[in-house]
Amino acid sequence: MHISEGILSGPVLASGAALAMAGTAIGLKKIDYDRIVHVAILASAFFVASLIHVNIGPSSVHLILNGIVGLLLGFAAIPAILTALLLQSVLFQYGGLTTLGVNVVVMAFPAVLVHYLFLPLLGKSSILTFVGGFLAGMASIMLSSLLLGLALWFTDKNFFETSLTIITAHIPVMIIEGIVTGFCVSFLLKVYPEIIPKKKQ
Amino acid sequence: MKIKKILILALILALIPANYAFAHKVIIFAWVEEGMIYTESNFGSKRKAKDCAITVLNEKGMVIHQGQTDQEGNYSFKIPENLDSDLIVNLDAGIGHGAQWRIPKSELVKKPTTEDLQVAMKEKDVLEKGPSVFQIIGGIAIIFLLAFGAKFLKKRKKS
Repeated sequence: MHISEGILSGPVLASGAALAMAGTAIGLKKIDYDRIVHVAILASAFFVASLIHVNIGPSSVHLILNGIVGLLLGFAAIPAILTALLLQSVLFQYGGLTTLGVNVVVMAFPAVLVHYLFLPLLGKSSILTFVGGFLAGMASIMLSSLLLGLALWFTDKNFFETSLTIITAHIPVMIIEGIVTGFCVSFLLKVYPEIIPKKKQ
Repeated sequence: MKIKKILILALILALIPANYAFAHKVIIFAWVEEGMIYTESNFGSKRKAKDCAITVLNEKGMVIHQGQTDQEGNYSFKIPENLDSDLIVNLDAGIGHGAQWRIPKSELVKKPTTEDLQVAMKEKDVLEKGPSVFQIIGGIAIIFLLAFGAKFLKKRKKS
């Protein structure tokens, strides 16, 4: 899902960078610095998740884990994902530095949205916790695919066709991420409930 | 007890994906040999970029040649005639994935020696190398350093 260098036009890159900066500023303000370890753990999980790889047609997709990062961190997911993407770009050559802003928007903004949509489900019952995690993992990938399609649309490609291709290509990842996120939040709620923001309140 | 839980959690989250270490960067590598331009495209390591569009441009951005990679991610073509600039070989690997390789004009006109080809192959091997354990652990260490650095700065600002 990392957009490579040389794919997007200047205005799209600039808009992505501006949105990512604004999001990061809000995220840094909203971070609960007493829970900074959680932010670092989840940023690390996101950083290494892209090493899990699935072959789809001529391209390839990988685990992203933006759903669980967003679900557990809210707005703090934006600086966490920015840091992880920057390190992936520098150390692994995934994506690129010029596309960093757009990649942050594509992966972090849906993560924040799923926090507000699905966090209320966590802790209500074991089934609802799993469902909340599953939906957060799945929806974050779907929304990221749509944003990716939107970014590519601005570089003269057909939005619906591109988005459909991206969403179709990511269906296996949506299901895998949903299951992984569902199990992770269910497990965390049992062994380490402090990491779930709702439980702390 | 809390620290122990955090450490176990960090270890689980960090090490499970590392067992499945596959690279995910888009690479195109091109070299000149016996009047032909050979290209190899992949997603790092041994993952080939199959059936992907190849577009060759000159420095002015004019399309000189187009083609498609085979099942091994390879594509080759004759050096176009009357060239007066470097060549830029673009790979479109779909859904926002792409890469490019620049072949200097000097490489197109001279006959490559065995040493030139060996240097080129070494360069290819370096490009295709996946992330090392050192890079993964180093990245995680940087994330934690930045997080605690941010906390330290916030505390200093408050006091």
